Amino acid sequence: MRVVHPVICAAALLLPATALAQARGAAPRPAISSDAVEGRRVFDAQCAWCHGNGGDGGMGPNLHGRLRHATSLASIVEIITNGIPGTDMPGFRSPLTERHIRQTAAYVQSLSRTTGQPAAGNAQRGAALYGSTGCGGCHVVDGQGGILGPELTTIGSRRGAAYLREALVKPEATHPPGYLIVRATLVNGPVVRGIRVVEDVFWVHIRDASGTMHTLSKLDLESLDRETDASLMPSYASRLKDTDLDDLVAYLTTLRGAK
Amino acid sequence: MNRSPERLALLAAVAAVTLASAALIAQDGQWLMYSGSYSSQRHSPLTQLTPDNVDKLRPVWVYQPPGTGSVESTPVVANGVMYVTSGPTMVAALDLRSGKALWEWTRPIAASVLNLGFPRVNRGVAIRENTVYVGTLDGYLVALDARSGVERWSVHVGENPTGHAITAAPLIVDDKVIVGISGGEAGIRGFLDAYDAKTGKQVWRFWTIPSPGEPGSESWPGDSWVHGGGATWLTGSYDPALKLLYWGTGNPGPDWNGDTRKGDNLYTSSLVAIDVDTGKPRWHFQFTPHDVHDWDANQIPVLVDTDIRGQRRSLVVTANRNGFFYALDRKSGEFVYATQYAKQTWAKGLDDKGRPIEIPNMAPSEKGTLVYPSLQGSTNWASPSYSPLTDMIYVPVREMGSIYYKTGVEYKPGTYYTGGSEKRLDEESWGAVRAIDVKTGKQAWDFKLPSPTWAGVMSTAGGLVFSGSNEGNFFALDAKTGNPLWQFQTGGAIRSGPMSFLAGNRQHVAVAGGHALFVFALDEAARR
Repeated sequence: MRVVHPVICAAALLLPATALAQARGAAPRPAISSDAVEGRRVFDAQCAWCHGNGGDGGMGPNLHGRLRHATSLASIVEIITNGIPGTDMPGFRSPLTERHIRQTAAYVQSLSRTTGQPAAGNAQRGAALYGSTGCGGCHVVDGQGGILGPELTTIGSRRGAAYLREALVKPEATHPPGYLIVRATLVNGPVVRGIRVVEDVFWVHIRDASGTMHTLSKLDLESLDRETDASLMPSYASRLKDTDLDDLVAYLTTLRGAK
Repeated sequence: MNRSPERLALLAAVAAVTLASAALIAQDGQWLMYSGSYSSQRHSPLTQLTPDNVDKLRPVWVYQPPGTGSVESTPVVANGVMYVTSGPTMVAALDLRSGKALWEWTRPIAASVLNLGFPRVNRGVAIRENTVYVGTLDGYLVALDARSGVERWSVHVGENPTGHAITAAPLIVDDKVIVGISGGEAGIRGFLDAYDAKTGKQVWRFWTIPSPGEPGSESWPGDSWVHGGGATWLTGSYDPALKLLYWGTGNPGPDWNGDTRKGDNLYTSSLVAIDVDTGKPRWHFQFTPHDVHDWDANQIPVLVDTDIRGQRRSLVVTANRNGFFYALDRKSGEFVYATQYAKQTWAKGLDDKGRPIEIPNMAPSEKGTLVYPSLQGSTNWASPSYSPLTDMIYVPVREMGSIYYKTGVEYKPGTYYTGGSEKRLDEESWGAVRAIDVKTGKQAWDFKLPSPTWAGVMSTAGGLVFSGSNEGNFFALDAKTGNPLWQFQTGGAIRSGPMSFLAGNRQHVAVAGGHALFVFALDEAARR
């Protein structure tokens, strides 16, 4: 059986009906949604930086297959308009016109009718690697693990494969909000470096790499510097083979919380 | 002390003579208008609190208004009573000593009432004799009996179904109530209104966007002026000697897509000096011609008399959202000087008339354009303060960049008319209370905050500067040096301006944090 590449499938959905007909050398078929064609332009400009090109996922979820929060065109319109409370998905009522929202929703719906590119690796092997590499020392899955890094129980429903791979290879480029690294130098010399758990004008709370929490008065600090390009997570680029990374990513994409 | 309404009216009349007397009126411990005085200096002449004793400041009471949402109001204190507001539209009269509500008035605001481009908040009242005036989210100006909270009259200022709303405190000048309008993200045509304080009858309306044939109309092609924006969503200032109102105007519409409005788009993103008797503009100064970054110029204009290069000048100064601090002649509007006070990447500088020399390709684009400052600007509605003692202006600063996106746009009544969006660079952002020497425009000191601030600033004659943070800190700094002297964690973001008043002959300081109003005073034991 010939396997049609799902990305090509999705792209084909966006071609004008006449182009599709010509490609197949067949009689013209009913026109596909011109809304979806226009919606792709809006998606590329407004949505792709989170959801990835073609909706393959990134910092935001992959939009291929069943959508977690929407079942109909109307509900996609509602989500694009008002966002999803409790998630990073903002509403686009301000930047987008109602027409553009409708068009973008049509495009997203067309994505959901296709299957995303499956992760290249083997999830089962990835699960074993997750255990043997010690990921659980810093991350929680289903209640098990450490809290130095982000909770991963539902990471597969919130992040795309490309983003997850980047997070393993170059974690400092992908650290999520709430994991900013700061370096506090006390007046009498010692340095505390770690995750800024919370900060106000006069206090900063830092969790260091050992998991120890430091509550520091800024009046006792010589300096407090942000390391916006840093992460406590080491890069696994040289620690794991490419195929191992693929396996680990494949496993992470299966972590979608309660089924 | 006689605090009768007649006495109050007399004091108000006296205050209308000069800026100095407007400061005098506050010396009896009142805070009679949103920005403290007509000059909007937010400078309390009270001296009980000093750098030496401010560490003894303690909370004395907390008021929690009905409803939810952040309290962004600066209270007014007059005739022995505090008047504070909360969102969407609610007014409370509080006893100064006990903090108990003498009355509360809530306007029913349906969920369907529009607030396009701003939260469902109210930022304060105006008071004249026995009447308290408040603007409503659904676009009305309401007069309440200051003694009972009973509604006396209301007047329809703007149609809410087309995005008009009022969040700003009105300003009283003699027998007029001056009130601005919000809706710059909804494609309104902005205006400033004056109403008769006794009857609510409209006295004049100044349209911030000229209609065809009027001066400035040449800056709008076709019918783009109809939805040209220029909202007047924050309270302005007033010079009683010149009888001029100084009012900032908001962004042109659509905000980030300027394709249909080529030209300077007067009088958007400008400061306009308006004759209080006629409502006619005397002069204007546009900070950001053809603005495509939503850099409203509604920030509070502060009236200052100081020496510039050895010459006494009557100035109106303002830290603009676009990253520059401007000093203009109060009478003529002449550009005196400007300095860059925060990071900006859109202008090489300003020419000798104060017009920006723009860097090419900094407009929002479909792929995104990184520009400093962010669309919320280098400062926003949070009030600055000026202290005549230090000749410094204290500005709440937002250091933040954004990637600006441009999208298609079409006007549909009661929906957003913006044509773009932004992605903020949150982790790199920070805030500050920044002191600027008004004589030179140069930075005197800087007190850093973890995030771009929404808290106003107040200076006091005791030598203090009060402000707050998104992280809930309310704090006092040394006005000369910026050194922190005291702080209190309120537990909610501070998005309001502090003020000060006398109660029982003790100096109090009030600020809203989160959904509550906090009032502080020195420990009795700390007082001599």
